[in-house]
Amino acid sequence: MSFIPGQPVSAVVQRIEIHKLYEGDNLILGFSIGGGIDQDPTQNPFSEDKTDKGIYVTRVSKGGPAEVAGLRLGDKIMQVNGWDMTMVTHDQARKKLTKKNEDVVRLLVTRKSLEETVRQSMMQH
Amino acid sequence: MFCRNQTARATIARGSALEMEIRRGKFRQSVFMETPQDSDIQKKIDYEIRMREGACKLLAACSQRDQALEASKSLLTCNARIMAYMSELQRMKEAQVMQRVARRSSDAGPMDDRSPCKGKVAISDLRIPLMWKDTDYFKNKGELHRCAVFCLLQLGGEIFDTDMVMVDRTLTDICFDNTIVFNEAGPGFELRVELYSCCSEEDYSAGSTPRKLASKLSSSLGRSAGKKMRAALEPGACSATSNGGGATILLPVPSVQGPKYHLLAHTTLSLSHVQDSFRTHDLTITGNEECSYWLPLYGGVCCRLAAQPHCMTQQMMSGCLRVKLGGEPQGWTNVYGVLKGTNLFCYHQKEDMEAKVEPVLTIGINKETRIRAAEKDPHSKAQNICITNQYGGEEVTHTLAADSREDTQRWMEAFWQQFFDMSQWRQCCDDLMKIELPSPRKPAIVTPKQGSLYHEMVIDKSDDIGTVTDILARRIEEFELRAQLGSPPHWMALFDEDPPHTPQHLPPHSPSPRLHSRQPRSPRCQRTPGLLSSNASLTSDSDSPASVSPCFRQAWSPVASSSSGRFRPRTLSLDAKLSTLRGRGYNGFRCNCQPPTASSVSPRPTQTALSCSSSTSSSSSSEGSNSQESDLGFSRPSGARRSLRILRAKLDPRNWLQSQV
Repeated sequence: MSFIPGQPVSAVVQRIEIHKLYEGDNLILGFSIGGGIDQDPTQNPFSEDKTDKGIYVTRVSKGGPAEVAGLRLGDKIMQVNGWDMTMVTHDQARKKLTKKNEDVVRLLVTRKSLEETVRQSMMQH
Repeated sequence: MFCRNQTARATIARGSALEMEIRRGKFRQSVFMETPQDSDIQKKIDYEIRMREGACKLLAACSQRDQALEASKSLLTCNARIMAYMSELQRMKEAQVMQRVARRSSDAGPMDDRSPCKGKVAISDLRIPLMWKDTDYFKNKGELHRCAVFCLLQLGGEIFDTDMVMVDRTLTDICFDNTIVFNEAGPGFELRVELYSCCSEEDYSAGSTPRKLASKLSSSLGRSAGKKMRAALEPGACSATSNGGGATILLPVPSVQGPKYHLLAHTTLSLSHVQDSFRTHDLTITGNEECSYWLPLYGGVCCRLAAQPHCMTQQMMSGCLRVKLGGEPQGWTNVYGVLKGTNLFCYHQKEDMEAKVEPVLTIGINKETRIRAAEKDPHSKAQNICITNQYGGEEVTHTLAADSREDTQRWMEAFWQQFFDMSQWRQCCDDLMKIELPSPRKPAIVTPKQGSLYHEMVIDKSDDIGTVTDILARRIEEFELRAQLGSPPHWMALFDEDPPHTPQHLPPHSPSPRLHSRQPRSPRCQRTPGLLSSNASLTSDSDSPASVSPCFRQAWSPVASSSSGRFRPRTLSLDAKLSTLRGRGYNGFRCNCQPPTASSVSPRPTQTALSCSSSTSSSSSSEGSNSQESDLGFSRPSGARRSLRILRAKLDPRNWLQSQV
């Protein structure tokens, strides 16, 4: 997930489809996000590279739609419904997730364990 | 060794061990004879000693606090310089002795190791961020704890100090505007940055204003004040390292009254920290919260450290050369070559270079260049020099020749030295870093004490529900007046939505529990009871301004006679509404998929009146704020209090926002 300046960024991503849930009269996804280009990246406990200003999942509520769909704590969100999440402010990210006329969000997330899994499976062949 | 016409003497203090040894005849004084470089340093030491005496006298004589602080600062600098010169002198004498020993053993071969060129190192725009507790900013109680700080910068034998800055909790950073240039620094330099601070509260300095002290002692001291007093009375209690502690044996350290600076933080910078832009470095903080000179440092220092090695700024080699230009085998052109920085400039003649005419040819000499002496050209006496560079993808080779073999040798030597310098100075040789020489001192402009950024922002502390109600009541009365006058306020144009839209926005659930205050009025309004109920619902969608408008419009309708009567009870219902909202607020803050849910918490009818134009724009900010608050666990619905908290949280750089989605 760390980047080399001048080289294209590539990451192993997983597609996660979360169906929003009605709670009362609000639609929730069941997780919390942290980070953003307007936030201090050194305080992110989940990022490998402390200059990474991406959006990270900081809390997943038990049994909520996000956990059911496969989102895990510490995931970095790369895209939401096609919108980029790697270079957005915190508020922009939140807005892209909480559009009230959408009840499904399709995320592209990446995590360290994904890369390792891929690497291991490639080594086995 | 002896020089009769030079009065050379070694400074040896009376009563010192060294003097005793000399008296006993163990050493001849001539061993400690000074060389010309020694006398240089000796002069500097003498000068600094005189400066120190002057500073001591000034310190004893001055009455004003500022003067005392300045004098104390120059005293500390003089002490530091004296120590540095003394240790330099020591080192030189040791080196001399070692050299004599080496010469005597006479087996030291020719020293073949290259030494890298020196350079200029400049440090500028020092900024040290502070980390006050937020209680310090927002509650201005208590005396202002002020400290006088300055930075001492040491590289090799050169020591400079910055100007003194007074720091209190209105400052967010300590900024030093000075640019300090060290002239003779090697690539392995170590620039030591030390931050000294001194508490600037009159009560704790020895001897000055005994009145305040007496008054403080007569009344009982508080715990923290007592601690400070104890710390101040015990001089060495909390200073981890003290510069005066390492006094040399040869000179007595004068003990002075007056303010004393203590080391607060230090760091050491070297070649790896040099960059052409600003960088943040870590500070090692000595001292703790109990000390009087303590300042809450964030832990870093931001500065611009630039270096200009001489190989980049000066001509390292120049002379006449012949260059093969063009494709012909015999096409030698005479040029005057100048090796400077990362280029070998070839001019037609020497005068061109002085006249700053463009060079005929510029050959790059950098880390990727390869230079070799070619095979002996049968036509010429000396060897050719081939310089190969990579431009883009291709290799370009230039062939040069000097006039004689010695010249060729000297050029090759110069090239090797250049390569060596570049390898030693590393990133400084990629491009020339700009160093701005400090301009002549302008007289210090004394600015009036500025409030900090936090003081400039006016945060209305009206987080009392009564205040809000008062504001709203006042507004309602304004409307009343306007209603009687018959002209709608200009912002009513925003509410010009078609009434038929509003019935569609009836929320699915019944708003009845909240309408108890409203219901007595609804029978009065015969026209559109449905609209009224939708109007009163507070979980309506973003078109809620539209839903409110029919109510207002009804005020302007022919039923206006009852309008005044209707408005007054609304004031009471406002209070009731606010209290119900507060109770409901815990549930309403769960998420903000529906933005107006959150922003609807503020009283709707007059909220639109107050900030109708900003309702949509503030909804975005209130969204963010609400999500944050849901995480933080707050759920006060009052708009003013919420905005205060949001602002505080957003302003605090230590917060890392998290939002629930």
